[in-house]
Amino acid sequence: MKEEMIKVENMETRLPTCVNRRQFLFYSAGAVSTVALSSIFGVSAAFASSAKYAEYPHKKIVSLSELQTDTPVDFLYPNDDSTYGQCFLVKLGEKAGGGVGSNNDIVAFSSLCTHMGGLLSRSYKPAHKVAGPCPSHLTTFDLTRHGMVVAGHALESLPQIVLKIEKNDIYATGVAGLIFGGVKNPGIK
Amino acid sequence: MIKNHTDSVPLPPKNADVLTTCCDYCVVACGYKIYRWPVGQKGGIKAKDNALGIDLPVGLDQGGWVSPNMHNIIKHEGKPHHVIVAPDHEIEVVNKGGNHSIRGGAIAQKCFNVEKPTRDRLQYPQIRVNGKLERISWDDAFTIFAETSQYVIKKYGTHSWAQKMFSYQYFENTYALTKFAFRNIGTIAFAFHDNPSNAPSTPGFRDVGIDNFSASYEDWYLADTLVISGTDPFETKTILWNEWIMKAIAEHRQKVIFINPRKTTGVAFAEENGGLHLQLNPGTDTILQMALARIILENGWQDSEWIKKYTNNKWETDSGFGQGTRNTDWQWRTTWGQFQTKGFEDYKKWILSQKESELNYAAEVCGVDAEDIEWAAEMMAKPNPDGSRPKTSFGVEKGNYWSNNYTNTSSFASLGILCGAGNRPGQMISRFGGHQRGGMKGGKYPVTESPEKFGGRRRKPLDLDRWVQAGKVRFAYVVGTTWTAAMCGSGELAEVFRNHITRNPNQLESTNVQHVLEVFKKRVDSGGMVMVDQDIYLRNNIGTEIADIILPAATWGECDFTRANGERRIRLYSKFYDPPGETKPDWWIVAGIARRMGFSGYDWQDSNDVFEEAGRFGRGGILNYQPLVKLAKKQGKRGHELLREFGTTGIQGPIRMQGGKLVGTKRLHDSTLKLPETGPEKETVWRQWLTKFKTHTGKANFMKSPWYLFGDFYDHIKPRDGEIWILNGRINEIWQSCFDDVERRDFIKNRFPENFIEIHPKDAEKLGVESGDYVSVASDRVPVQISGFYGRDIDDLLFKNLLKDGHIKFVSAKVKAVAMVMDVPKEGTSFMYFLNPENPANVLTPRVPDPISGNYRFKLGVGKIKKIGESPYKHSFQQMTFKSRAII
Repeated sequence: MKEEMIKVENMETRLPTCVNRRQFLFYSAGAVSTVALSSIFGVSAAFASSAKYAEYPHKKIVSLSELQTDTPVDFLYPNDDSTYGQCFLVKLGEKAGGGVGSNNDIVAFSSLCTHMGGLLSRSYKPAHKVAGPCPSHLTTFDLTRHGMVVAGHALESLPQIVLKIEKNDIYATGVAGLIFGGVKNPGIK
Repeated sequence: MIKNHTDSVPLPPKNADVLTTCCDYCVVACGYKIYRWPVGQKGGIKAKDNALGIDLPVGLDQGGWVSPNMHNIIKHEGKPHHVIVAPDHEIEVVNKGGNHSIRGGAIAQKCFNVEKPTRDRLQYPQIRVNGKLERISWDDAFTIFAETSQYVIKKYGTHSWAQKMFSYQYFENTYALTKFAFRNIGTIAFAFHDNPSNAPSTPGFRDVGIDNFSASYEDWYLADTLVISGTDPFETKTILWNEWIMKAIAEHRQKVIFINPRKTTGVAFAEENGGLHLQLNPGTDTILQMALARIILENGWQDSEWIKKYTNNKWETDSGFGQGTRNTDWQWRTTWGQFQTKGFEDYKKWILSQKESELNYAAEVCGVDAEDIEWAAEMMAKPNPDGSRPKTSFGVEKGNYWSNNYTNTSSFASLGILCGAGNRPGQMISRFGGHQRGGMKGGKYPVTESPEKFGGRRRKPLDLDRWVQAGKVRFAYVVGTTWTAAMCGSGELAEVFRNHITRNPNQLESTNVQHVLEVFKKRVDSGGMVMVDQDIYLRNNIGTEIADIILPAATWGECDFTRANGERRIRLYSKFYDPPGETKPDWWIVAGIARRMGFSGYDWQDSNDVFEEAGRFGRGGILNYQPLVKLAKKQGKRGHELLREFGTTGIQGPIRMQGGKLVGTKRLHDSTLKLPETGPEKETVWRQWLTKFKTHTGKANFMKSPWYLFGDFYDHIKPRDGEIWILNGRINEIWQSCFDDVERRDFIKNRFPENFIEIHPKDAEKLGVESGDYVSVASDRVPVQISGFYGRDIDDLLFKNLLKDGHIKFVSAKVKAVAMVMDVPKEGTSFMYFLNPENPANVLTPRVPDPISGNYRFKLGVGKIKKIGESPYKHSFQQMTFKSRAII
């Protein structure tokens, strides 16, 4: 995985007249690296050109041996912000997009609903492998499909936390998407 | 949705331009703010450094967050600008605090941007030469339109000249277009986008005396019991659900009774929270409503005191629904003698005499437990132990009134008044609405000239589709609708158009105006038809393959417009960016055509000119805004500018002047509204229905709903021999007939790359179908009424007699969809999105209108489902999800 830092002092001054998504993402990544999502999530070639995620400092979440299927683990990421950094990790027991582990079934997401910031951390539904419905306005996200909206009002998929496994430990390494609340992800300048 | 992993969003600097608008989509019309600033500048995350006036990040569970999909790059005065279109987080009405739907929240993505999927906006007038569209000038387009129209009207009469248009896309446009069609052309061959004729959506409400949009959003909140029929507001009126109904459930334990064959998120939530789902068989609403009325009557739970005061007695109803014998929309309903009662006692007697109202019979036909029907009746009407009554409101939408139009709506509204609803806070009867209310009539539909004639002097608005099918139309002007895909039996209707237009031997070989006129004249003389299509995109199939001339329209954000929402709240929708290419607003286009045809009264300079003129003609209506126009003049302002001062709050129509100030009208028929004893002030119109029902007496009518008028049709079309119901409608994520949402937003397209069909698990098992399989959905018996413009009496119009007399033919239709197996549709029913451009569910719906009203039965498709094979989405993690829409 690339560790190279891309410095962009002022994205506005470098934006072309009509910035497209790919350029926008590149310029806006700030002091973190962007990594083609295809290398992590195995997405099809059609998506590889535009789908990327931002890599942040790696953080150990939990040991594989401590993890039980359908029992979510709360953690803070990409920094220790107790509000906006709220995330959850769950072993779904079935293969999922971006899933790690021997069954590709371990995934993690931001706990903040991308509609209006409702807290999803207690809403995991084992029977359906979804987060939600959000207690605020009932948006539901499919955790097997990169946090896609099943039904509801969010304008973005639930930001997925990119995971990797080293030996017996699961690490968070980045975020695909913008976490609710700010204009950049928590702790990112 | 994975494509959209943008992880930052630019903020507007303190000096950004700020304008107000509303969402362009569903009837709720949430208030939005537009922040516009030149590329190259940016704001900061502190309130003092950005135009939003808020510190970021925003707090949890509140509005104000700007997500990446709220941002776009547009051109303003020719220069690139950032734009953020975000829900107004300071608004205190409608979407209080900045709530938003998945559609409106992303409305910035509607803007034209050559770097985005909106790049294919129509940009200049075109004409189809040798099957291919070629660019022409506005001047040539006007000449061709005007001369061909004049030729057709002179030779074949005004009724051979047709107009099919949106009913909702802003006062300025609908006024200009209907002024042209009715006041200048005078054609009877006219229909709005969702209707084959000029028929009201809920004729039963009309006869009971209720305006469709009498309630305010607060009424839906205030009700103790809310009856919702034929829709789930979570899906299609999102903020009405989020901010009003869901809050009523949470804050004062409102009980919501859903009457709907499909269980979606809102329904499941209501069930979990003390509500009830009457998951009835499609098309059986009348029977269920009659059964509910009977339970209430047999238990004496009706609101007797209120009924005595506010409903017509036998003397008052004698004169044709209490409205004069010939004073219904089309005069015959009064003289048929099928619907009118002589007041409450007569209604009671009639309900108790009907087999359909018997509980066990109704439970069987409707497929609903008898105990649930009894429980629903209790929640609606049973007095509390202290003698007080539950406040019950009744809201309806198309799942109800587009399956059996007249008797569903007459029995629904009668049930409502039985419970004392219709004229007071928290106790109202209304439509929730579909599109926003942007209709402003510029002329009168000439119903007295309609070729649909019946015994006596009865005339009905003309069924335009049948008129086209019969070869009576030589020129058609289509504005902002697909026409073909949007109507019933749409595959066959498209074939009719092809036969009249593209398969006619007289086709263009050049753009030369003289050549075009010669060929078009030959075409119409040979029995063919010329079509002009005015829209913002080239729509399948009317634009892509059928119409001769394509006119490019400017839309939301590209011109100042005005419109009302589902509680009659009128607001200005600001222009904030340059319309693409040579696009022009619809009012400008029709004015150019009208002037070229020699009509006067079309010298408008801007949309405000149209707004002010239209105000004069809307004075008697529920959206009367003329007092605002007059006050603006007095203040030396323009009408639009004064309305702009009302911002996202707007003002509810009809607007009245009181104490020299403009006041809105919260609800209609409002028995609690106190009007000043000094009488109406200048320019203010007090119609009786402000405080009373919409009848001559001001009292409501109990109406009958005889099942036999629909029963023969129902028995014929209901599923048989392996068929199931193929229902259709909108869904939360795809509201806008596909022209914005699913076609031009990556994150929505990823969710729904193709049309889908929800199938109940038990049906799926029988069919051997799993989620993610491609299936064909087909029928070889889609009924189409091809003739029958005359009738002597009601019997001639019944389906069995239309069939016997050769007015019905049956056509085949087939669409493809991706199966979604879930416990959402009722067993034996399925559900598709209605207007997918490639696979529209409407090809399967019966094109036989309700003979009483003229509306289609859009919700009653049937067909056979067969597995084709696996779709690529079945094992993909990238596109589509097959999770249930009813997880709670």
